[in-house]
Amino acid sequence: MSRFSTILPETRTVHRVVSVADLAVDDDPTVTLITYALGSCIGVTAYDPVARIGGMLHFMLPTAELNEEKAMAKPAMFADSGVPMLFHACYGLGARKERMIVCAAGGAEILSDSQFRIGARNRTILRRLFWKNSVLISGEDTGGAMSRTMSLNLSDGSVIVRNASMERVIWPE
Amino acid sequence: MAGIESVLDDVESLPVLPAVVARLTTMLFQEDVNQAEIAQIIRQDESISVAVLRCANSSMYGVTARTFNIEQSIVRLGMRPLLRIVLDQQIASLFEGMGGAYHMRRGALWRSAQGGAIAAEEFAERMGFGEPELAFLCGLLRDVGKLVIERSAESPAIERALRHPGCDVSFLQAERDAIGFDHAMLGAALARKWKLPERIAAAVEYHHEPPADGAEHDVLIDCVHAADIICLWAGLGVGGDGLRYHLAEHVRAAMSLDRRSAERMISVVWARLRVLEEILHGTGATERSA
Repeated sequence: MSRFSTILPETRTVHRVVSVADLAVDDDPTVTLITYALGSCIGVTAYDPVARIGGMLHFMLPTAELNEEKAMAKPAMFADSGVPMLFHACYGLGARKERMIVCAAGGAEILSDSQFRIGARNRTILRRLFWKNSVLISGEDTGGAMSRTMSLNLSDGSVIVRNASMERVIWPE
Repeated sequence: MAGIESVLDDVESLPVLPAVVARLTTMLFQEDVNQAEIAQIIRQDESISVAVLRCANSSMYGVTARTFNIEQSIVRLGMRPLLRIVLDQQIASLFEGMGGAYHMRRGALWRSAQGGAIAAEEFAERMGFGEPELAFLCGLLRDVGKLVIERSAESPAIERALRHPGCDVSFLQAERDAIGFDHAMLGAALARKWKLPERIAAAVEYHHEPPADGAEHDVLIDCVHAADIICLWAGLGVGGDGLRYHLAEHVRAAMSLDRRSAERMISVVWARLRVLEEILHGTGATERSA
């Protein structure tokens, strides 16, 4: 997990950037986790509003079965290895599963693609994972062909998704 | 709207092709790559020498004994990795700090160039195309037109293309609607101005819309096109234009690309990109990525 932070003087918010195929968790309410350039990749946030602990994952592909060696070296690259890792990292800081608010953004497709649907497969695997583990997705902005930026503010758990032309708060709705 | 030529003429600081790349490109089109000449190029440039020595001493190449000798390093690495390292190291300067006009974070456009180079080379090998180094170079240069647009007076107009209301309209079309041409056309014009071989200019020009047949069809362009799509799926160089591009059906068929092989290629590109960045800069791709 890498940590690159920029301090914005007017708000004293620390922006901690989550890179592609990486994740970050934090319990500092002045931190905002942010990930850029979500195309077919998906950004997942998990937030415990009581403990004010949150995490963010930026995964690229649905399943680690594709390359188990790679999954060992870079588990955040895949949904099925990265999502459990995100939750366990949050639990490690004191978050509780029953309080977790989960959001997702990304999963876009290239144009006229009826064959590969990499983004759709990412979305499907993610939903299946959450369904199996009785986790509800509270806010979502997925699909289309646009690039997205996703941020999670740890002071209040708000999740904002931005694309080239608009910005949307996906949690709280 | 300004024409392509007037944009090239008006940009105050047009990207300059490093002399070393021009020399290596000429060599790539020759029958035999001249090892002595490459050694000379490496010796003449301190930054290249440092990169080559670093690679030659990298554990990625299974090295146990250190060397500080350029000739030994050349023999140890072999010609193909050597060419790749020098091209990558030299072209990086063109992309330094660029991509902002396309809503990319610092370094993202260059990482996309590197990812495209790796993927194009992988596809070239898969297709039995005899010039994987050429595919690597074309992958690196494919989005060079974006550098010109960013430095030109057309840069603000690109915002219109990025905010184009039709999400199903290809970004190339949105660029043409906004400024009269697209970044691929402009990149090809720059490649011709640099006097690069026409095959390279054509690969830059058609990397989003590869000709399916006829005299213009070139498997080199197919490789660069497929590589570009792999980069988008890999999250490399995804800017405000998002994924508003098409994969040409004839390329998909020729490469026998299916979902599984595409996902595998994405994973291969990421792994090789990390190795390349660790060797050249001592950092992993994801650590520097946007």
